[in-house]
Amino acid sequence: MDYQAALSFALPIAVAIAAIGSGLGLGRAVGSAMEAMGRQPEAAGKIQTGMIIGAAFIEALTIYALVGLLLLMGKIGG
Amino acid sequence: MLNSFVFHILTTSETTHKVVEKGQEESHELPNLLTFINKSFAHHYDALIYAGVVSLMMITVAVITYRKRQMIPGKLQNFVEMILENLDNLFISVMGKEARKYTPFLGTLFLYIWFMNLIGLVPFFKSSTSSINTTAALAITVFLYVQYTGVRRLGLWGYFHHLLGSPTDAVTWALAPINLPIHVIGELARPFSLALRLFGNITGEDILIAAFVSLGIMFMGLFGSPIGFPFQIPFILLAMLTSTIQALVFTMLSAIYFFMVMPHEEH
Repeated sequence: MDYQAALSFALPIAVAIAAIGSGLGLGRAVGSAMEAMGRQPEAAGKIQTGMIIGAAFIEALTIYALVGLLLLMGKIGG
Repeated sequence: MLNSFVFHILTTSETTHKVVEKGQEESHELPNLLTFINKSFAHHYDALIYAGVVSLMMITVAVITYRKRQMIPGKLQNFVEMILENLDNLFISVMGKEARKYTPFLGTLFLYIWFMNLIGLVPFFKSSTSSINTTAALAITVFLYVQYTGVRRLGLWGYFHHLLGSPTDAVTWALAPINLPIHVIGELARPFSLALRLFGNITGEDILIAAFVSLGIMFMGLFGSPIGFPFQIPFILLAMLTSTIQALVFTMLSAIYFFMVMPHEEH
């Protein structure tokens, strides 16, 4: 298998694995935040801010995989 | 006619780019106004040009509002004041009373990134933030300003002490040599994570929209229709949401970085 075929198999799988991981993480984070908001609706604003920042950190990991894909995508079929 | 035209532009701009910059990756994006000027000069600077368009729009609104400010505000002044007040309250909720000093910088950052993200959803415009150069420039600006603020507010020794993990007793002093590289690497990693997060999100959504536009064109092309099916509309709505959230995240993280290098009275 030449490296182009290897890349075209590996890149989507890499992003998919990253997406699975951050999906699990986001599910936990947002779920806990929603629970906390339901328990204390008056603190909803603060919890939401924290949740969005945490979600951005989790999501960034998938985005790094996506950036890797974008960088290496040019090498396929060039 | 329009669909074949757009499709033509989509395909030709890709192929010409493959010829022009061989080996360089070129993302598959929708055509913008500068794509029609078939000069590589304008095409290589499109991020800069659209960033300039956004800044010009913001400066125009700011100047008009500033020149015509009154005690009893009109519609435009009310709107601008509302945005300012909400941003100020947001930063005060993160950084406390001292946020007022940094609201001009952080608020401008938020509005600038937000409008740059949103202008990519207007047909024939492009998000400047889908170029890594723009986001890297913004992130480096934040990084330098945070370092400057740290040295200014804590002093040189105070800032070094902060990088050592603020040691007070024997145990924390013993751990300080381990803390120093961790903190320095942490500081240096911030601009990378800020820039790559914004770039990846906006580029991802632009490519997604472009993929669904070409899918719609191909789908309706089967029936010989002149216009494509708007498959991209749900993704444009999603992109409006992520544009706002990403601008907010960039600004909030910058605000937190500023907050972390400011002296804390409580401990």
